[in-house]
Amino acid sequence: MSPPPVQSAGPWVQAWRRLRRNRAAMTGAALLIAMVIACFLVPWWLGLDPTTTAPGQRSLPPSWAHGFGTDPLGRDMLARVLVGGRVSLLIGLAATAASVVIGVLYGGLAGFYGGRVDEAMMRIVDFLYGIPYMFLVILVMLMFSETARGEALPVFLALGLVQWLTMARIVRGQVLGLREQDYVLAARVVGARDLRILVRHILPNVMGPVVVYATLTVPTIILLESFLSFLGLGVELSWGQLVAEGVAVVNPIESPWWLLACPSAFLATTLFALNFLGDGLRDALDPKSGA
Amino acid sequence: MIEALLVTAALLAIASLAFLPHAVTRALGALFLSAVAFVFLRHVGGDLLAGLVCAAIGFVAWRFLPGAILRRVAFMVPSLVLLIGVTTWLMYLAPGNPFAQEKSIAPQVEAALRAQYGVPESPLAFFRVYMERLLGEGSLGPALKVKGRTVQEVLLPALPVSLGLGGLALVLAVGMGLLLGVRAGMRPNSWADHASMGLALVGISLPNFVIGAGLMIVLALQLGWLPVAGWGGFRHVWMPALTLALPHAATIARLARSGTIEVLQQDWIRTARAKGLTEARVVSRHALQVAVLPVVSYLGPAAAGILTGSFVVETLFGIPGMGQWFVKGAINRDYSIVLGTALFYCGLITSFNLVVDLLLAWLDPRTRQVA
Amino acid sequence: MTRAGLLVLPLLALLAIGLTFRASFQEPAAFTFVNGTEPTSLDPGLMTGEPEGRIADAIFEGLTVRDPATLRPVPGVAERWTISEDGRRYVFHLREDARWTDGRPVTAHDFAWAWRRLQLPEHGGEYAYLLHGVRHAEALNQHEAQAMALAGPVREALAALPPDALDAATWRGFVLDHDLAGRVRGTPDRALVEAAASETGLTQAERRALPARLAREAERRKKAAKAAREHYGIDEGVYARDERTLVVDLVAPIPYFLELTSFYPSFPVPRWVVEAPGNAADWFLPDKIVSNGPFTLEAWRVGDRIRVRRSESYWGRDRIALESADALPIENQTTALNLYLTGDVDWLPNYPSDLVDALRNRPDHYSHPGLIVYYYRVNTRQPPLDDPRVRQALALAIDRRSIVDDVLRLGQIPAHHLVPPGIPGYAAPPTAIRHDPARARELLAEAGFPGGEGLPEIGVLYNTHESHKKIAELIADQLGRALGVRVKPYNQEWQSYLATMRSGEYDLGRAGWIGDYLDPNTFLDIWVTNGGNNQTGWSHATYDRLIEAASDVESYSQRPFFEGLAEPDRIRAGLLRLSSAKEGSARREAAAALRLGLLREAEHILVGRELPILPIYFYVVSGLVSPRVEGFHTELVMPDGARLPNLQNLHPLRGLRVRDRAARAGGPAS
Repeated sequence: MSPPPVQSAGPWVQAWRRLRRNRAAMTGAALLIAMVIACFLVPWWLGLDPTTTAPGQRSLPPSWAHGFGTDPLGRDMLARVLVGGRVSLLIGLAATAASVVIGVLYGGLAGFYGGRVDEAMMRIVDFLYGIPYMFLVILVMLMFSETARGEALPVFLALGLVQWLTMARIVRGQVLGLREQDYVLAARVVGARDLRILVRHILPNVMGPVVVYATLTVPTIILLESFLSFLGLGVELSWGQLVAEGVAVVNPIESPWWLLACPSAFLATTLFALNFLGDGLRDALDPKSGA
Repeated sequence: MIEALLVTAALLAIASLAFLPHAVTRALGALFLSAVAFVFLRHVGGDLLAGLVCAAIGFVAWRFLPGAILRRVAFMVPSLVLLIGVTTWLMYLAPGNPFAQEKSIAPQVEAALRAQYGVPESPLAFFRVYMERLLGEGSLGPALKVKGRTVQEVLLPALPVSLGLGGLALVLAVGMGLLLGVRAGMRPNSWADHASMGLALVGISLPNFVIGAGLMIVLALQLGWLPVAGWGGFRHVWMPALTLALPHAATIARLARSGTIEVLQQDWIRTARAKGLTEARVVSRHALQVAVLPVVSYLGPAAAGILTGSFVVETLFGIPGMGQWFVKGAINRDYSIVLGTALFYCGLITSFNLVVDLLLAWLDPRTRQVA
Repeated sequence: MTRAGLLVLPLLALLAIGLTFRASFQEPAAFTFVNGTEPTSLDPGLMTGEPEGRIADAIFEGLTVRDPATLRPVPGVAERWTISEDGRRYVFHLREDARWTDGRPVTAHDFAWAWRRLQLPEHGGEYAYLLHGVRHAEALNQHEAQAMALAGPVREALAALPPDALDAATWRGFVLDHDLAGRVRGTPDRALVEAAASETGLTQAERRALPARLAREAERRKKAAKAAREHYGIDEGVYARDERTLVVDLVAPIPYFLELTSFYPSFPVPRWVVEAPGNAADWFLPDKIVSNGPFTLEAWRVGDRIRVRRSESYWGRDRIALESADALPIENQTTALNLYLTGDVDWLPNYPSDLVDALRNRPDHYSHPGLIVYYYRVNTRQPPLDDPRVRQALALAIDRRSIVDDVLRLGQIPAHHLVPPGIPGYAAPPTAIRHDPARARELLAEAGFPGGEGLPEIGVLYNTHESHKKIAELIADQLGRALGVRVKPYNQEWQSYLATMRSGEYDLGRAGWIGDYLDPNTFLDIWVTNGGNNQTGWSHATYDRLIEAASDVESYSQRPFFEGLAEPDRIRAGLLRLSSAKEGSARREAAAALRLGLLREAEHILVGRELPILPIYFYVVSGLVSPRVEGFHTELVMPDGARLPNLQNLHPLRGLRVRDRAARAGGPAS
């Protein structure tokens, strides 16, 4: 029988301690922090310029002057990869955060109340799945097109809008099982209010799948953004965009490989780091593992 | 704004069907089922015969079908109608129209085309035309950018392609994902865990257009083992199926790993271990069933996504599947195709979620007790 | 359950996959090419677009066809034709052995009916305007709608304006909002034409007379539409004198008219098939189609391929070398290239532009200039871009040479004009466009923005595409550096981009124009006031008059005007030559020369003074074609020995031959 968490500060402190002991997770966290610093501070610090073209220096392989080479317009790839990372990281994290908040609340409520409430709420989700999200994205882009020409904000708004549905289903499935557990029944017998039971006893127990699915949502969104950029519904400069540009030029005849390899490496590193951090978080948040 | 309120109200009204007595939703489901059957059957056997057959179908459904299924039908039919309405509204809000091209067309030409294809200027009028055609003729309407064909004539030949390819990809994804995920979950934070997860992660750390292009360069261009693209033999199947499967395999592996870790800490597993069962047996006999719960939850929407095909995979490998129409419909503003694919997808996902929910209840000992 | 499922599911999937193969071809066609996208239609009267055209040219045949080696019109269904002295009447004599695939003879009635069908307003043919030069055609196609607008909305809007004199701004706004110039174009009422073109507004008297004039014009148009409906395609305009003689009467001579008769909008259509019950919308699908060209439509599998096969009923079947051909609707250019590299495809009309350097030295690579211009529209509706000096500054600040050499790299030509070079007989006018950042800064300062100060940010809109993006980013960078303006490139997906352009909510917008026929007019008549593809808000009365004058040189010669012309003496000389040339061909030639002179004046207004558009470069068409393909002409050799590029990028299947498949085994991939 797993005991419910009792103190308010305790579990979090414990979780933090467990996380600190997990070497893979800490490596992931360090990599992520490094990535954020690299993307948000380094270009500004080194004065890197992702837009100035230099036609004389087109498609140069990596060298001392241009660490990641240059693109076909002679722009510095290092600058483009780092600045592009801002958008990808922002979009991935912000849209995921939105989808976690909405999805956990919605799915948690549905699963917790169960029965007819659950049914009503889940049928709404089924319906929302059916709406062609491309049009939502087109419309959101349009709403902001005057103010934000190619800016990132509308994109992650649109992506967050469509990503919470599966999260809600997963959370709801978990909560549906948990709400009949003895400790929840016990809390109910003691007279705890619904909301308190949900927030204090049930949601902490679904954090495992939530964290795992959230770390899966980040890459999904970053990749979805690249797909939308490819269709003309995205932003100007992002990792997904750079990767899409890179893959167009790589072929057996001639390979400016750095155009694909550099953004791909950053993208993959970030996703790996997120993944290991996510697993560590999952283990750390799991109240049973420390018991 | 008024439209948004209307849509919300309609959605709440549909959701509130859940609070009707079971007998009522049951009857409603049977009624809807026979009505849908009638719309499509009347062209085969005429009104009278179809009416009789559908009445019989309705009765049999009401009498014998499980309540869970009938209830879903009761929700699904009004949902689909609302979906047509909402999608129509969104399509008309979006800039452009099915007849806009780079060289602008004369107003009288556009008017003539709108009349011919049943695409009036206002969304409300379009909704009416569409519903009348759907109910009256059982047709999804003419495709606007593949002229001379109805939507069903465009989508039906593509369906088996996507179902077959998607089915294969699904099997690959579930197979690889479970294998890697469960293995990793049995020894969390071990070398085997990190290796399995690293392998699985390749699938989501790169966009599928990169993976597909990589496979194409290596397997088709350099080694010459498989054809570059096209559709006409089993040798055309493997690269797209793999490209389609990899991201899902990665997700499934991650979910399965987490599920396995969770379940192996449960008391009843400890009991099973204490009884002296081998670890493999504990996993395969007891743990796997529960460990796959999150995977099953995920599979509902994922399967609907995989089976309806993928724009990237289909355009990359030149496959005449369904997935391209979801994107092309929207990009071309081919209203009929957009509605057709949306209806199809919504119907499919509702059915899959039903299957998943039934499966979850059956697999999960905790909810099973309750039910 | 799980174990059984694991076995059953993959088997089911493989079974489903296997079933779909039944529908595919196991045997490759003799010639396979990448066609870009799926054709939206194969009805010659409804379709538009290059992929559609390649198929239509194979399965249908017009009065004339293009000689594959020279692209000049040579006998097709018509074995010979005569042109009247004044160039207005064409009589085509059809060959006896032209047959539809169902065995019926191809008759003049088939053409007359198809041409009539194209113009019927309820038909919705997008290319109807190409044959508006035929008598009655424009009236049938447009006059009824114009009459209704003039008698309805336009009159009502006019009634809402104050009843006395109208100032310039109010009146210009009215003319533009209600497309008055377009709706009265060609009217014999001079006062109405002048009112529509008036830059100064209307006097009280003119204003008072207007409603009656509009009502009369509406009545006139209604009558003309009625007459056209009764006669066009039946006994006037275009009609069959007998089974094998087709008569076409033009409003004014059209120098490129014969070319139009080889273009798909003028192809014959099998009336008995189209009008059969249930066929109207889909008569062109393989199980229903009846066609008359060198190939038949054997199969059309959406998303997979279109296959055509040599027609047994075609009159010239002995000259057709290809047994069959496949058109693949592959949109992904990388995939298309890979298919070519593995030898699955024989002709690749496009490849990813980034690979120019890697591909252009291959022996199977070809490139030649095309009749296509790449340009930016300038939205002239709002300040500061309503000032021609600002527009010219932008034009001077763009370094086209750098775009061509550093981005495109295939010998594209920097565009200092709008009309691509190579049109026979047309001499480009003097232009104000060049690369001169210093002068650009001066102009900007003259316009009140020294050093770019006070200029708002300028957006550069383009539809999403790799090369548009590169060019937009490069131009933004060039403008920013040269002028100190902030320039922001941004993209939209295709339909949003079209809608944004049309609604005029952009600053600069990318565009391209493919010439429909080998004549400057196809590039210049776009820019008339309120023209459907103008979209810049630019309106210029002299320009409109010049375009109209060029469409009917004889009327111009009777009522010439010279005000606003850059080189009036040239035009005067042309008029003189026309009046001194009396007999047939000399007069036709003089008229044609004068016409080109008028078009040259019009282009001068565009690129020499007003710059509502910023031309960037002229296209080079490039692709890969397998060495086993013969009869593929990238350079045309004229009978007089002159060598011309294949400007219109036409490679008719009828002229292609392939060496046997064994030649392919070695593979062109090496």
